[in-house]
Amino acid sequence: MPNPVTDRPYRPLAAAEIQTLTAQGCTAADWSRVQVADGFDPAAVRNAQFLGDVRIGANGGMVAGDGPIQKPCGIYQALVSNCTIGDRARIANVGQHIANYDIGDGACIENAGRIETRPGATFGNGVEVEVLNEAGGREVVLFDRLDSQFAHLVCLHRYRGELVDKLIAVAKAEAARAAAERGRIGAGARIANAASIVDVNIGDYAVIDGAAALARGTILSSRQAPAQIGSGVEAADFIIAEGSKVTGGAILAKSFVGQGCQIGKQFSSEGSLFFANCEAFHGEACSIFAGPYTVTHHKSTLLIAGLFSFYNAGSGTNQSNHLYKLGPVHEGKLERGCKTGSSSYMMWPCRVGPFSVVLGKHTRTFDTADFPFSYLEALPNGRCMMTPGFNFTTVGTVRDGAKWPTRDRRRGEVLRDRLTFDVFSPLTVGRMITGSARMKELFEKTDRAVDTVGLGGVDVKRILLRTGMKFYRSAIEMYMLDKVLARAERALEQPSASLAAALAPAADAVYDFDWIDVGGQMMPRRRLDDLCAAIAGGTVSDLDGINAELDAILRSYAEDEWIWVRETYPRVFERSLGELGMEDMPGIADEWLKARKKFLALVLNDAQKEFDNVIQTGFGQDGTAADAGVDFARVRGDFESNRFAKELKAEIASLADRVEKWKRAASARS
Amino acid sequence: MSHDVRDRVIKVVAETLKIEPARIDDDSRFVEDLGAESMQSVELIAAFEEEFDIEMDEEEALDVKTIGKAVDFIVAHLG
Repeated sequence: MPNPVTDRPYRPLAAAEIQTLTAQGCTAADWSRVQVADGFDPAAVRNAQFLGDVRIGANGGMVAGDGPIQKPCGIYQALVSNCTIGDRARIANVGQHIANYDIGDGACIENAGRIETRPGATFGNGVEVEVLNEAGGREVVLFDRLDSQFAHLVCLHRYRGELVDKLIAVAKAEAARAAAERGRIGAGARIANAASIVDVNIGDYAVIDGAAALARGTILSSRQAPAQIGSGVEAADFIIAEGSKVTGGAILAKSFVGQGCQIGKQFSSEGSLFFANCEAFHGEACSIFAGPYTVTHHKSTLLIAGLFSFYNAGSGTNQSNHLYKLGPVHEGKLERGCKTGSSSYMMWPCRVGPFSVVLGKHTRTFDTADFPFSYLEALPNGRCMMTPGFNFTTVGTVRDGAKWPTRDRRRGEVLRDRLTFDVFSPLTVGRMITGSARMKELFEKTDRAVDTVGLGGVDVKRILLRTGMKFYRSAIEMYMLDKVLARAERALEQPSASLAAALAPAADAVYDFDWIDVGGQMMPRRRLDDLCAAIAGGTVSDLDGINAELDAILRSYAEDEWIWVRETYPRVFERSLGELGMEDMPGIADEWLKARKKFLALVLNDAQKEFDNVIQTGFGQDGTAADAGVDFARVRGDFESNRFAKELKAEIASLADRVEKWKRAASARS
Repeated sequence: MSHDVRDRVIKVVAETLKIEPARIDDDSRFVEDLGAESMQSVELIAAFEEEFDIEMDEEEALDVKTIGKAVDFIVAHLG
C-alpha cells in the first residue's frame, strides 16, 4: 500500500528558503539532502538541526496538541535526522534527536528526549515470550497480528509437534515482515513528555504522554481505536494493540497487550500475554496467558505461570510455580469464568474447571475440569474441599455472563480475538454431564457411613455429590430445553416451516461431544483437530488462511452448538429430538418453564442475601440499631428497587406468558 | 412425629455447622444466629435429605429461615 507521506514528490529547498531557515537558527549538515513538499513554509521551521536525508511536508496551519490548545505546525527546537515528516505535523522541543522515522500527517511530537530507530529494528516483532513456563518450552513469538487463538495453539498444544512448528514458522515470517530501518509514527499520533522511544512503531492517533522509556515495541492504533501510553510507563520488547491503555507507571517486559486492554497503576508484567479487554492494575504478572477479560485490580496480587480467561482475581491472589527443585516449571489452568477470593493461593500444578470460585490456601494438586461452577475452598491442611455446582445459581455468575458482551471495549474494523461469551454452552454443559456421571458412580459405590470422598484430587462431602448432581441436572435441562424451544420457535414464526425442519441440523454442522475453549473461542474438538491437521499438513499455510478458518469456525458456532444439543438430547432425556412432534412441545415448554423459573428464583434468592440483616453489619456508624437499616438503604438501596433484582423478577413474571403464547401457537399448528 | 423430627434436625444442624446442640432452639435463625453461610445452607439441605431420605426443592428449602420452620417443612415432606 502506498504511503502518502513517503511516496509523493519532494523538491530541493530554494536558496531563499535556505537563507530564511538559516536566519531562523536552523542548520543542516547538507542542505541538498533536505527536501520539501508543496505547501512547505520556511517560516514554520526554527532552531532546527537537520542531519542526513530529511523530507518535510506542508507545514502551515495548526495541529491539535495536548488538551484543547491548537498549536502551530512546523519544526521548532529539534534535531531531525533521516526523517520524513507529513503534512500539518508539529515537532517541538526534542532534546536529543528524532531519527529514522516516517512521521504521518497531523502528528504532534513535543517535549521529547530521544526518538530513534536503530538498524535491524523489529519493533517487538519476533520477541519470544516464555508464557506459562518461565523456564521456556511454551514460547510465543510476538507479531503485530497475534490473536488469542493463535497464541493458545502455539503455547498450549505443544503435543502437536508439526502444528507448533508450522505456527512458529508463520509467526516468524510475520515478524520478519515488520523489520525495517525506519520506524513509523502514524498520522494524528501525539507524543509528549516522553524521555526515550527507541525502535518503537507508533500507530495512527496513538497518544504517548509522559512515558518514561519505550524500547523495541509496536503500538497499534487507529482513529477508531487509539492506543494510549501514559506517564511513567516503561516498556521493552512489547506489542500493544488498538484501543488499549497502558498508563500509570506500568512496567512491561516481553509482553503482549491485546485490543481494548487497560494496564496501569504500577502494574508490572513480564513474559505475559494479555488478550481482549483485560484489566490489570497494581499487581504483577509473570509468564501468564491472560485470555480475554482477565481482570486483576489489586496490590499484592501475583498471577504467575497460569492460564486465565474471563477471570477475576481477588486481592492478594497468588500462585507458586516453583518448588525449589528443578526451577520454576509448574503451571496452572483456571478455565474461563473463574474467580479467586482474597488471599487465595494455589500451588501449581492445578486445573480448575470453568466458572469456579477458589477460596483459601491450596497446597495440593487437583483437577476439577469436569466440575464447572464449583466452589473450591481450602481446608486448614491445604487440601481442597469442593462444593460441586454451587456457583451455578449465584448472582455473580449470572451478572458476569450478562456484562462481558456489553463491556467489549474493542473498536475498529479488525477485532482479532474471536470471542464466544455463553456461560452455558456445549463446553460447560458437556462438562456437567461428564461430572454428573462421575459423581453418580462415586455416590452409588460409597457407603453411607463415609463422610468425605476424593474426586480429581479434591475432597467432597459424600452427601454433596447428590446436591452437585441436582445442580447439574437443573443446568443441563434448562440449557437444552432452552435451545430446543428457541429452535422450535422458528417453526412457529414461519407458517411454512415444519418442526422437523426447524430441529434439523445444518448440513455443514460438526458434532463432537467434546468442546474446547481456544483462547476465548469455544468450538467442537473435531473442528480444531481438522484445522490443526490442515495447518500441520500444509493445506492451510499462512496467517490469512488460519484466520479465515478460525473465522469460519466462529460463524459455525450456533449450528455446531445446535447439533451438539440434538445429539446429546437423548443422553439427557432418553428420547431423540427426531421423535418429537408439535404435540410434544407444550410439555417441553412446561419443563423449560419449571427449570428456568427455579433457576431464576435461586439466583434471586442469592441476590437477596446481599440485603440480609447480616450484610448490614457495621452500617449505621455511631447510631442506633435502627440506624443501620436506614444507613444501609441509603448506601446500598433495597432489594425491591435493585435494578438487577427487578430485571430478574420481570423475567420470572414474563416466563409464563411466553410459554402460554408459545403453547397457543403450537396447538394451532398441531 | 415432630418431636423426633425436631431432635434429628437439631442433630443434623449441630453436626453440619459444628455447634453445640444446646445452642439450638426452634427460634434459632440459620444465618443470623447459627452462622450458616451460603455453602453451609446447601450442605444442610443435603444433610436433611440424607437424614430423612427425602428430596427437597432448593428454592422452597432456602426460604426456611429457622429451626422451627425447618421441622415443619420436613414434617410436611414426610407427610
